[in-house]
Amino acid sequence: MKWISMLLLMANASFGASWYVTISGLGGDLEYEVRFAGWATDLDKSLRNIPDAQVNTYIGKTATKETLRKAFAEFAGKVKPDDSFAVFLIGHGTFDGTDYKFNIPGPDLSAAELAGWMDKLPATRQLVVNTTSAGGASIAALQRVNRTVISATRSGTEKNATLFARYFVEALRDPSADTDKNETLSALEAFHYADQKTVKFYETQKRLATEHAVLEDTGKGEAVRAPSAENGKGLTAGRFPLMALGNARKFSPEKTKLVEKKQDIEGQIDKLKYEKAAMPSDEYRKKLAGLLVELARTQEELDK
Amino acid sequence: MKFLLLSLFCVTSCNWAAAPAPPSPCEDHRKHGRREAATACFNNLVNTSKNPALIAEGFWGLKNYKAANELFRKAVAANPKDPHVRVRWGRMYLDHFQKVDAAGLFEEALELKENYAPAQLGLALVASESFEEKAVEMAKEGLKNDPTLVEAQELLARLALEEGNELKAGEEAEKALKMSPEALDAMAVMATIHMLNDRDASEWTNRILKINPSYGQAWSIAAHFFVINRRYEEGIQMYYKALELDSGLLETKSDLGVNLMRLGRDVEARKLLEEAFAGGYTSAATVNTLKLMDSYKNFDTLLTPKTDIRLHKKETALLKLYFQPELERAIATYEAKYKFKLKEPVRLEVYPDHEDFAVRTMGLPGLGALGVTFGTVVAMDSPSGRKPGAFHWASTLWHELDHVYVLTATQHRVPRWFAEGMAMHEETANNPEWGDRFSVEGITAIRDKKLLPIATLDAGFVRPKYPAQVTVSYFQAGKICDYIKERWGFDKLLEMMNAFGAKQTTEQIVEQKLGMKPEQFDIEFLAWLNKQVGNTVAHFEEWRKRLKQSVALMKEKKYDEILKDGHEIRDLYPDYVEAGNIYEMMATSFLEKKDTESAIQELTAYAKIGGRDRDVLKKLGKLLEDKGNKQEAAAVYDRINYFYPMQDEELHRKLGDLWMDLKNAKGAVREFSAALGSKPVDPALAYYNLARAQKASGNKDDARESLVSALENAPGFKPAQKMLLELTDK
Repeated sequence: MKWISMLLLMANASFGASWYVTISGLGGDLEYEVRFAGWATDLDKSLRNIPDAQVNTYIGKTATKETLRKAFAEFAGKVKPDDSFAVFLIGHGTFDGTDYKFNIPGPDLSAAELAGWMDKLPATRQLVVNTTSAGGASIAALQRVNRTVISATRSGTEKNATLFARYFVEALRDPSADTDKNETLSALEAFHYADQKTVKFYETQKRLATEHAVLEDTGKGEAVRAPSAENGKGLTAGRFPLMALGNARKFSPEKTKLVEKKQDIEGQIDKLKYEKAAMPSDEYRKKLAGLLVELARTQEELDK
Repeated sequence: MKFLLLSLFCVTSCNWAAAPAPPSPCEDHRKHGRREAATACFNNLVNTSKNPALIAEGFWGLKNYKAANELFRKAVAANPKDPHVRVRWGRMYLDHFQKVDAAGLFEEALELKENYAPAQLGLALVASESFEEKAVEMAKEGLKNDPTLVEAQELLARLALEEGNELKAGEEAEKALKMSPEALDAMAVMATIHMLNDRDASEWTNRILKINPSYGQAWSIAAHFFVINRRYEEGIQMYYKALELDSGLLETKSDLGVNLMRLGRDVEARKLLEEAFAGGYTSAATVNTLKLMDSYKNFDTLLTPKTDIRLHKKETALLKLYFQPELERAIATYEAKYKFKLKEPVRLEVYPDHEDFAVRTMGLPGLGALGVTFGTVVAMDSPSGRKPGAFHWASTLWHELDHVYVLTATQHRVPRWFAEGMAMHEETANNPEWGDRFSVEGITAIRDKKLLPIATLDAGFVRPKYPAQVTVSYFQAGKICDYIKERWGFDKLLEMMNAFGAKQTTEQIVEQKLGMKPEQFDIEFLAWLNKQVGNTVAHFEEWRKRLKQSVALMKEKKYDEILKDGHEIRDLYPDYVEAGNIYEMMATSFLEKKDTESAIQELTAYAKIGGRDRDVLKKLGKLLEDKGNKQEAAAVYDRINYFYPMQDEELHRKLGDLWMDLKNAKGAVREFSAALGSKPVDPALAYYNLARAQKASGNKDDARESLVSALENAPGFKPAQKMLLELTDK
């Protein structure tokens, strides 16, 4: 997303470390054990490619509630307010009509328990990606201001094993997931990528979709299938830098002016897009093309 | 139009079941068109009778089905051993389009009284709606048990005419008229035979109107036969005539609405269907068709001078890239082949929801067909309406469009076997990889000597005697046309087509145009067919056994053994490309042995014979790409577009890149447009790729617009920025 681009260009100074916690739960049978562990391992690999990332992955026997409780207590002492903190849950979830539980060795982990641990983290940008079955039931307990919650299922009644995790993990490896080409994959972009791929899977297979991913990032209200300006969802998720694909750069004073000019044009483009519905299409396209050419020229100068 | 005729019969035959015989004297009033007297009579039954069965008859006559139903229930409770009440209740259900309930009551009546003729007639009527062979059998049983059962005799006349046997239909109708000189439906059959042959039918219509001046039902019956003979325009005029005589024929209104809808006359169709519905005619066909028409707002219309394509909004961006040029190509080909031009654009409707297509076709869900043709209107499944590889949309499009030309050329006076045979022939004439493969059903039919003589081949389409007979008849008809073309040339097929249009029969045409008796033709055709498929038929069981063994060997990873016998097994039944085919097994075995070249050969053979597993073809494409054979790889990927271009952005992107490498900018524009129409995960990249192809094809304005769209999604997308500046600065 655009704002992330600006942040990267202006260097990482104002933002801290990126923390990632992946928890792969019980599979129940061998097929799922292998599948969940495989996705978690792939995710772990992708995350470890991120410079300076704090990656913590718990698979199988290591993912007990006690281990996790201790780990989160430790994170609470280390994480800074400027840091970003992301948690990924991969496995089976259950919902008994009251509580959501993530199936891990030993006692299961409830959404409220996880929320309690995360509430103690000083990081102001938080993300939970719950890819488990019935994960929709965890949203109410997890949602909070400045925390994006993504769930593979829209409710606790979608109880079948999900595929969303597979595509979410794929998003971190596929450059095309960075749809705005700003060299940063946001949580929102990864959500869209995984959701689209999941929907296509069920459509192509002519199978009734048993999972419908949703996102909530305002701390209030229902999670939505399609975050947008209209429903007020997606802004925080769009600002959550899940993964930087390019290197942050530092500029000379001359180039910094160009960076500022570029940001200004980007701002004008954004403003124009918001006005799109209210102006004739030809006028919009003409203005947009003009701004885009100007932006391209500025970028060209910047890259010299 | 595969399986269509069955469906049409099913819809229109409902008319016949809706002609119950209420008890005298009400029946007499109604039969003679004394409507007020009939109504008074039924009212009298309701108001004065103490017998619940008679009150039920009264309510039924007044079209108060709910009350009639309750009274019949009481009547049956009061007379549990009386089969007659159950039959009458069943007939009421038939009148109210509830044939399953009706059949249950007829069966119960037969349990109460074995060989009870009215119940047998009821079952015959039910079977006739489903177009089952049992209809004839049950009607005959009924007549055997009650030789005075005129209605059963009339039904036999109609069933014979459905089979296209006018002589027999006339004889059966004459029998009915001997049983009752006022057998109106028998007269309607006689009149219809005259009308179908463009002969003056006034002898019969006058007799009908003399008995009942408002007997519109006779014209509804005639309309039914025009429709099932695909003479829709004339059928529609008959329906209008029926309504002129009796505007209260709600079923006729509904049938007319459905047929107008088939021909694309949506406004009038909706009006009539709504009138039928408002009048209480709430059959599934009526309701479904109205619902479908409501959904038309979700379709885009693409117009050119020769085409009128309706695509679902969610698929337009993708499918227009393939359907539009393919339809235009097919029109150009048929114009040259059939030597005439259509006077109006071809309307092509493509339905992503198969059940919508089924309703579009017959008013009811559950149709097995892939496409249907009504005049110059073609409706078909979208590729997305079926599982990938389940059907070949382009082949289906050519098949249906062939009907448009043959039906137009003959003014719809062509037997089914010839119309379907020509369409099947054209599928593979256009591209040998298209069309249906030689199926297990075809093999079995040839082995069991179940192919029909050419003179009676139509019966295989109309009233099949075994479940696969319709598909076998398609196969046979197609092969007959292949044979005629091979032996006498395509012009001979055109001569035959024109002769059918001139109202000659199959027997006459075979004798005059092919110079032999139909029986001799059958002998020579079978000899020709045997040369083509005799080996497969003779060794089918052996093939089956050996293929099964190969599957077991694959599981055990005994690749050498697979390869040892693979070609022999393949040659026993080369057309078998479905699940568990030998081509894939051999390709896998070759790959395991690191023999990529041989694997490519096997998979290429699979593709050329008509294999349609998307993943297998993609695997072949990848092997060819890896080998550096981009041209063949592109051809393999492009094959997929003609049976399932959906849900595969990656395929379109890859093919677009290949076309770019091969300097086929036009092809690349299409494929990158298709990637864009596939709701890409990365729209900026999709627009950028399209811009690349547009630029390569010399269309710089479009390329610039695509770049603006790419950058609208991702303003910082550097390759797009670079190209935008390049195009702007030039």
